[in-house]
Amino acid sequence: MEKKDGKYDFSLYEYHNLLHQNILVSYKGPIDERVMTVIGENIEILTNDGNDKAKSKIFKIFMELAQNVWLYSAESCKTVSGKKLGMGTLVIGEFGDSYTFVTGNVVKNNDIEPVIEKCEIINSLDRDSLREYRREQRRLANTGKKNSGNIGLIQVALTAESPLDIELTPVSDEESFFSIAVKIKKTSAKS
Amino acid sequence: MEDIHIKGVHEAYFMPTVNFEVATGNCEISGESYLEETTKFYAPLLNWIRDYIDTVRGPLKFDIKLSYFNTSSSKCLVDILDMLKTYQKKGGQVTVNWYYEDSDEELEEVEDFILETGLQINKIPME
Repeated sequence: MEKKDGKYDFSLYEYHNLLHQNILVSYKGPIDERVMTVIGENIEILTNDGNDKAKSKIFKIFMELAQNVWLYSAESCKTVSGKKLGMGTLVIGEFGDSYTFVTGNVVKNNDIEPVIEKCEIINSLDRDSLREYRREQRRLANTGKKNSGNIGLIQVALTAESPLDIELTPVSDEESFFSIAVKIKKTSAKS
Repeated sequence: MEDIHIKGVHEAYFMPTVNFEVATGNCEISGESYLEETTKFYAPLLNWIRDYIDTVRGPLKFDIKLSYFNTSSSKCLVDILDMLKTYQKKGGQVTVNWYYEDSDEELEEVEDFILETGLQINKIPME
């Protein structure tokens, strides 16, 4: 978006067209409960092609992943009352017989390693083992053990019935952009 | 000790409806659970159960009808179930009915709560 001859080199039309194809919802900015309410409602309205199960799956996944951006993004801003809001990007796309939900945010390289390890464990497990992992991690969280709190990612993989497609792109020596994409079938294979 | 009656709210956060009755030991948690401060919301409910177990020592029947709860709420639900299991082990009469909608995933989750807490939970389809 650099200025050239006093004009911005940014075409909103191209940006719109890029998003127009297959993208139902796209948001970039701070995330808090108000943003979550609006996007949550938009998801409900815009995913009419899917059955009710797919809708409730997307909603559940959205709630967990958006919450992670809000709480753990390394890029943040503060409200007037001093509340810290994580910034990030959310995109919900519709591709044929499935929806894809993607969230991304800047992370500190030092903080992201355990999250990536967790995602790799999640992706290596079959459904029964994943359920066992959720039980075990929830149990650890309830006994107050450190680094075991977040069972959100396990829940996301179980709800989506698909692996967590993660990507880490370095943006500086200390920070990277971390994204998680999950695919949700419009009609669940098990229903 | 007094009853707890909380009317559910679906706004930016979702507060479940809660009805705990001292006289009957009938307890209900229904609606949706996604809260700003999850443990702060559930702490008085856990205290109520503890008081009931210590002082009233009567039967406890839990009807859980949650159409949505986030992972933070699920941790607090496990705390409740743990407390009920401990009471049952000491001879307390405990019934837990879990009402589910029509997804396999929900049923799996209830089965996991059973495995996780060792408590028997009746799985009942929601009407």
